[in-house]
Amino acid sequence: MNLIARLFSSKHSTAVHKTSGGINPPPFKEHSLRSQIMPTPLPEELWLSLMQRDGKSLETLVSVGDLVLKNQLIATPTTTYGVPIHAPTSGQIKEISAKHVVNSFAEPQLHIVIAVDGQDKVEPLQAVTQYQSLSAFQLIEKLHDLGVANVGGIDLPTSGKLNLAMQSKTQLLIINACECEPFISADEALVREKADQIVSGAEILQQANNAEKCVVAIENNMPDAISALKLALANSSIELVLIPTKYPAGGERQIVQAITGKEVPSGGVPSDINILVQNVGTAYAAYNAIVIGQPCISRITTLAGTPLKTPKNFEVLLGTPIPFLLELCGNDERTHESTIVGGSLMGVTLFDDNVAISMTTNCVIAASPEWFPDLPAELACIRCGNCADVCPAKLLPQQLYAFSRSQDSENLEYQNLSDCIECGACSYVCPSNIPLVQYFRASKATQLAQVQQTQLSEYWQERYQYNKYRLKKDKEESKERKARLIKNRSTKTDFDDFSKSKAKIDIAAAVSRVKKRKTESALKKIQEARDDTGKPQT
Amino acid sequence: MTRLAMTSPRQTNARSVSRLMAILLFCLCPGILLSCWFFGIGILLNILIAIVSALIFEAICLVFRGKDPKAQMKDLSAVVTAVLFALTVPIGTPWIFIVAGIGFAILISKHAYGGLGQNPFNPAMTGYLFLLLSFPLTMTTWHVPVHDLVGGPISPLSIEGIQQSLIASFPFLTFDSSISAAIIDGIAMATPLIEYKMASPNSLATALSTDTSPWSRDAGTGWEMINIAYLLGGLTLLGLRVIRWHIPFAIIGTVALLSLAFYSSGGAAITGTPYMHLFGSATILGAFFIATDPVSAATTASGRLIYGVIIGISLYSIRVWGSYPDAVAIAVVFGNFWAPMLDHFFKPTSYGHESKFSQLVKGLKS
Repeated sequence: MNLIARLFSSKHSTAVHKTSGGINPPPFKEHSLRSQIMPTPLPEELWLSLMQRDGKSLETLVSVGDLVLKNQLIATPTTTYGVPIHAPTSGQIKEISAKHVVNSFAEPQLHIVIAVDGQDKVEPLQAVTQYQSLSAFQLIEKLHDLGVANVGGIDLPTSGKLNLAMQSKTQLLIINACECEPFISADEALVREKADQIVSGAEILQQANNAEKCVVAIENNMPDAISALKLALANSSIELVLIPTKYPAGGERQIVQAITGKEVPSGGVPSDINILVQNVGTAYAAYNAIVIGQPCISRITTLAGTPLKTPKNFEVLLGTPIPFLLELCGNDERTHESTIVGGSLMGVTLFDDNVAISMTTNCVIAASPEWFPDLPAELACIRCGNCADVCPAKLLPQQLYAFSRSQDSENLEYQNLSDCIECGACSYVCPSNIPLVQYFRASKATQLAQVQQTQLSEYWQERYQYNKYRLKKDKEESKERKARLIKNRSTKTDFDDFSKSKAKIDIAAAVSRVKKRKTESALKKIQEARDDTGKPQT
Repeated sequence: MTRLAMTSPRQTNARSVSRLMAILLFCLCPGILLSCWFFGIGILLNILIAIVSALIFEAICLVFRGKDPKAQMKDLSAVVTAVLFALTVPIGTPWIFIVAGIGFAILISKHAYGGLGQNPFNPAMTGYLFLLLSFPLTMTTWHVPVHDLVGGPISPLSIEGIQQSLIASFPFLTFDSSISAAIIDGIAMATPLIEYKMASPNSLATALSTDTSPWSRDAGTGWEMINIAYLLGGLTLLGLRVIRWHIPFAIIGTVALLSLAFYSSGGAAITGTPYMHLFGSATILGAFFIATDPVSAATTASGRLIYGVIIGISLYSIRVWGSYPDAVAIAVVFGNFWAPMLDHFFKPTSYGHESKFSQLVKGLKS
């Protein structure tokens, strides 16, 4: 299959390099791809998260009770990790309160709740007609102001990634349309329907970081999307690369390896080797922002799963509650057991369905016991090595598992635990049903805690050492002072002797003076007495 | 609506451990059936005694370790250990020896170390070695029904042959005075390597049948046919991706190369052709079914290759220069000693890291 794929792709464009590991799970994409992308009707409420990537909150520009228009800026970032929020539709700010987020282990985060008025009153847009004349920095600023964020993986602002890329002179910009995870078909649907816009978006992104070359990478099992892209790319310098279908071919590191044959250094980003990877959805958002002037207020999200009568791809307003979308697809509550945000391999199972669509919500799966049975009980690892065969990071999950169980952090580091991308391929093939990814996540958390603990203890150690040093110094200083004092005293003895002798002289002088005075007064008295006796008595 | 926390991935598609073990057992079947044809039902009796005692020991261990025997025994690992053990001990070994060997394998070699997945040494092979060191004579005597009392040849699958096999395995049985008195001999007929080790090439020619039929019941043909069956079974395992190619390839390649390098046509028979070393011994069975036991073998690609080479070298050395005729068990256990170290040092270069080689080149340059 891979060989055929490589032959097929080399006929059309750049040859593809081999990536390590990978699995071929059934794609489950056909159901949601049957229909076109549909805009959703307006929900009653929109919940927009104020959380930034660094854990801080965005600064709100509105207060409860304010009326907002569609596209109006309602929150701005406080650091470079935030993305400005624009109101997705018109309405009134109902409250600013804490709500659940997709990550079930995170604390509820502050959300702006907009009570939708249903009139969709618009703030006029400002399109840039001649974007070709703008500089890279102007484009980046514009993209940032209009809230364009990375729609794949982590919702960092695109501007941040572009700025980083600018600093390291990008040679290659990869527009990633490889949607390798089962159930997700949002990118494929987008490429199928908006290929022209994506190509313009890619050109804008290329202009925004002066990349020398730009390619669009797509998996070779998406025939409709490929033909649409070929048509759109006919008069463009952008190349099309077909990537052999496997999971995880669309991971940032894997796609870099497939296209360039180079590996992103451990712990680094593609910018370190002068490559920038952007999701195809980001390219579309960039097109909307620059050419139409439309802030980023919606995204394409797949709704899939057997409990849904009509699984499909929606153009969803950011902040739309997930239960509203499930209902829209005719969710059958009887078979709907749990909800997964993301694909079946990396997606997060929701603790509480009352979560809003965010920039990175590419898929919502209504899981039924039929397709997602409870995983069988975990058995002993027989070290078969199937996990190592499929690991895209060329790690040894069987070793990592053993060291995770024994909490051997030294060996975990030696086995490069931090390079695990948590794709789940190892758990997928494990004959003993071991939830390997869960072990690795726990070990990573422990490692992080250990690092923090070490830092803390180093800090206190330093404080203690300094304290010890200070006490010692104080002691030494006081000793020195005392010694000096004693030394001073010994020099003072001469002075004392002198002063003593001087005092003696003084005393002697005083005594002699007193004596003298006494004798004088005695003499005087005698004289007077003589005078008295000598005087005739009257 | 709140639910239990579940983590990714929610989708799996793996063959379970019991499935893998069942495939392995299935792939052994042709060899076992051929062994019945050539040497009688002795092998089936071995397997039966081994499986029953293994399951009993396994259940006892699991109960004492506070596990659920019903759930744990489904993995079939005890059955695989039992069958592999039964294939390595000589045909016609009295039952009590097999029980003792299996007892050592399951109690000491497996559960004393923490059960499935924790044993550093191959349980079947340590069980065999325990017997070999304790009872060397029993472990090198193969009872194959080939002659009746008067010395006329009989078929091992005739009633008389079956009865002889039963008596060999269960010495307390008596059927008929004439049969119980029969000397169950066969001596070394079923292990050509013993013959080769002692014999000169001339006597070897007489020991081997001149009958060219592949079904003729002599030791040479029998072992060749059985080994071909094991080879096919092993290749099936490879095709079904139950095992990887590295270990069998390395063992067979090493043995073939060594036997080619040390081949001497005029010398002792044991320095015979690569063909004799591969198909006249337990090399194939060991390479595909025993050394590939994942728990005690190396798990990285390069580690597996080295592991196979180590086993191949020790296998050939012990056979030719050592004092044991066939040395699969010793070689495999010797290889087991190396496995943890191979796993540690021969890990693949992880994504985004520099390979040891390029680090070395850089180091030499600077």
